[in-house]
Amino acid sequence: MTETQHGTRGEARPAAPRPSPAPGAGGTARARRRSSTRIGPKLGRFSLFALPGLLAYVVFVLIPIGMTGYYSFTNRNPFNPPTKWVGLRNYGDLLGDQEFRQALVNTVIITVIVAVFANVGGLLIAMLLDRPTRLYVALRAIFFTPVVLSAVVISVIWQAVLTDDGLLNSLLRGIGVDDPPGWLSDPDLALYSIAWIITWQMLGFCVVVYLAGLQGVPRELQEAASIDGAGRFARFRNVTWPMLAPALTINTVMLLITGFKAYDQIQVITNGGPGAGTTSTMAFQVVQTAFNGNHIGYSSAMAAVMLALVATVSVVTLRLLQRREVTQ
Amino acid sequence: MDDRTHSWLRPLVAVFVGAAFFLPLYLVVVNVFKPGAEIVPHPAALPLPPTLDNVDAVLSRPDNLFTFGLINSIAVTALSITILTVLSAMLGHYLARSKRVLAKVAMVTLLCGLMIPVPVILEPITGVLKTLGLMTTLQGLILVNVGYYVPFGVLLFMGFVRSVPLELEEAAELDGASKLRVFWQVVFPLLRPASASVLIFLGVWIWNDFLTPLILLGPDSGTTVTVGVYRAIGQHQSDFGAVFAFMFLATLPILVFYLALQKNFVKGLTGGAVKG
Amino acid sequence: MRRSIVFCLVTTLAVAGCGVGEKPAATPASGGKVELSFLVFETPNLNAAFWDAAIARASAKVPGVTIKKLVTPNVDRTGYAKQLDASGHLPDILQSVNPAGFAEAGKLAAFTDDELKNFIAPKAGAVDGKVYQLPYNTQVIPVVYYNKDAFEKAGITETPKTYQDLLDVSAKLKAKGVTPFVVGGGGADTWADMYPLTGTVATDVYAKTPDFLTQRKDGKVKFADADFTKAAQKVADLAKQGYIDPAGLSRSYADTEQAFRDGKGAMYPMGSWFATSADNSKPDFEVGAFPWPSDDGTPVTPTFTGGGTSVSASAPNVELAKKWALAFDEDKENNDAFVKLDGSIPAIKGYTPPADMGPVYQATVAIYQQGMKDNSIVNAFSQETGDGSLPPGLADKSALGVQDLITGKKTAGEFASYLDDQWTKATQ
Repeated sequence: MTETQHGTRGEARPAAPRPSPAPGAGGTARARRRSSTRIGPKLGRFSLFALPGLLAYVVFVLIPIGMTGYYSFTNRNPFNPPTKWVGLRNYGDLLGDQEFRQALVNTVIITVIVAVFANVGGLLIAMLLDRPTRLYVALRAIFFTPVVLSAVVISVIWQAVLTDDGLLNSLLRGIGVDDPPGWLSDPDLALYSIAWIITWQMLGFCVVVYLAGLQGVPRELQEAASIDGAGRFARFRNVTWPMLAPALTINTVMLLITGFKAYDQIQVITNGGPGAGTTSTMAFQVVQTAFNGNHIGYSSAMAAVMLALVATVSVVTLRLLQRREVTQ
Repeated sequence: MDDRTHSWLRPLVAVFVGAAFFLPLYLVVVNVFKPGAEIVPHPAALPLPPTLDNVDAVLSRPDNLFTFGLINSIAVTALSITILTVLSAMLGHYLARSKRVLAKVAMVTLLCGLMIPVPVILEPITGVLKTLGLMTTLQGLILVNVGYYVPFGVLLFMGFVRSVPLELEEAAELDGASKLRVFWQVVFPLLRPASASVLIFLGVWIWNDFLTPLILLGPDSGTTVTVGVYRAIGQHQSDFGAVFAFMFLATLPILVFYLALQKNFVKGLTGGAVKG
Repeated sequence: MRRSIVFCLVTTLAVAGCGVGEKPAATPASGGKVELSFLVFETPNLNAAFWDAAIARASAKVPGVTIKKLVTPNVDRTGYAKQLDASGHLPDILQSVNPAGFAEAGKLAAFTDDELKNFIAPKAGAVDGKVYQLPYNTQVIPVVYYNKDAFEKAGITETPKTYQDLLDVSAKLKAKGVTPFVVGGGGADTWADMYPLTGTVATDVYAKTPDFLTQRKDGKVKFADADFTKAAQKVADLAKQGYIDPAGLSRSYADTEQAFRDGKGAMYPMGSWFATSADNSKPDFEVGAFPWPSDDGTPVTPTFTGGGTSVSASAPNVELAKKWALAFDEDKENNDAFVKLDGSIPAIKGYTPPADMGPVYQATVAIYQQGMKDNSIVNAFSQETGDGSLPPGLADKSALGVQDLITGKKTAGEFASYLDDQWTKATQ
């Protein structure tokens, strides 16, 4: 317990030593931010505020990433020592690796589907539920419940629903569909079923965020527009939608995070199948290669490519966030 | 208005969509209270009369998989999110206020961390923990949680700190309060909604995480309830009653936690952003 | 505010304290004894009570050992053992973990010939001639279990003797609207789709070239060669004719067995462990068993021998751990329990199964004993361990490939070259 005690008690202690202000800090502030020029130099002392959080991140995320980067240039395999430096060979092999390419494409497909459908569905449902009565409040809770559940639990539930003799198909047979689709056994469908399951889980999150956004739209604005004779759609486009931009950003960021990380559902429901790699994602491929094939070196190269991709997406997302701040 | 002409339509559609959405969850809830033999032939039927056998079976397991898992889960989750809230509030505050290039770099680096799936860096993480002598300890797991989830906390707090007027802090400082006092007594209380969001989100994620505790705690240091769910699935593949009861019990605490904090939660999430 | 945070911390620390404190209390270490960790897996048959009793019996024979039982999170104990090893916590004793990789890397202790003197096949699963996992039992993989009622209703009076017979039987069943084969492989249990292929590889490849995988390793043969491709073609054809229902690809292992019990197919090619499951909880119909037939009816009996206990080379007391492992695997009552609960066929000299075993188990053992008599024992493809087995990860890849074979996404030729590619990747 000493480690954690130390980490937190240090912060709460008022008499903690402070580093002297860093020279040149805050010197770039512009005129319109006059207040920050005043407080700027003092902020150097605040680095004590930043340190513990950053330290944890560096030790448990950045260093492991660095190690991954290093491994990616070796043939590291704990079951086949010794580890040798192989230069760029792993990356060369990746270029021709059909399976990895498929995993990458699958990840992008899942992410895009989840991002689009959870956003659109979430907005529609939020508009449907944007009423203050009890019925709608209760419904909101229902939509949010899956967000609180673990991916393992959700996977077990949906597996029971979507297998060929599962609940959905017995329902379909009941209404006269003779040959219902194999949601999880058809190699052309399984990926979309997985994407749907993730969408279902995230839908409630989007609903809640959009509801908050909708409730932030001033009634007067709506009414003014309607007096001006604006139709329903025009009112939505010109009044409501712009006000929802921040909600859209939050949802999209969350959905991207969820989509890129897709792993648990694959592990529990499909194991990457049916067939070779039809539902394999990047995260799944990395883990399989590392723990099933023992090729840590090669899996690290995959991880590095994935991280580069993630970094790109993150920077773009950051731009979006900043643009939002400018317009607000 | 249009609302009146379609007054019957909205609730009807809402209830229908809600019911369709809820169906998979309904399956779990009814089958928790149904005798095991009834589940496969009548999965969708109401549990009449309801039975607590499945729940009892989970609670009275001879290996205490649920009870021990629950204790560990509560300890890990509570400690992780408390530390995370404090650290990411401070870091988020710093990054939101600082104009230094280094702060910008730190921000981008943190954001990248948001989208890294744990499994991808799990192997080197075990290396780091081994070096620190923290492998298979709750402390190790908690520290890894803190490092891994700090970016998300920072993201939420940063957005919110910007909505706190700088003048407030300056005024407090002119009164002679130290930076720390200003932060704890002026800024942090104002960040309460964001704290609620961070607590809920990270609470849910850490509670539900299964791969990290599975690997980092190992088999001999006990498990968490979510790892327990995974194990229960393996053992009782055909006994859905036991699996569903385990899932139900494992989810209950975090659901209650969410319901307790939900009012603040949305406000914190959308923070300064939705205010416009 | 600060006070409430401090309060929060104190409470959570207190909670964490008792969370940590719970475990030593649960597994007391008694003085003067060596504590060894033992990794087991739990299934509906081999549940916690079974392991506890079996461990107690072995410990009674080996004084000075306290066993700390560890349980895998799912049946993939080899995968979990690898993860544990990667984090530096390989358990001291491991149950039914594939020693491939562990053995070569020197992580397991080899058993001496003397230690193995009570085993029928003391060299089964050897790695470079050394045995790292006790070959305590034999499994016939696959046996074709069939629904006697469905056969009768389709007017089938005799079990198939040749592969053509098997096809004829399938055609008759199909004509009656019964799916001939139940084959699984859904969810995380992709491996459950391997059994027809294991059968055809035995009859069409291993019968002629018993050391096919060793030759593959030496580069003398390829999967894309005619024999193996033909074996794959047979499975593809079964699926194409509608004899295998692709619905199985969404069924987990447990669901697959349930599907056979529910009469969703008439034949269930499965490992011999299904026998006791059929005896212990009888389906609504009589279950029969016959071996997977070859083209000309020559008997071929694919089996796997091994699957027992291994000992980590870094156990605190390797000699004692080995002694305990031997006691565990040779104990008569333990083997009776394995027989009764998991349908195992113990490969221990002088062992005879309990007399009251059910008809399906008897029929299964008869197939094995006939195989011994005919001298028709070959390996079971993808189940092998030790020398002449698939490289790490390849069994999983094959199972995924078989799914493609069944859905028709890959032809037999494509499947074979896919395996060749995967072999290259896995061994580079």
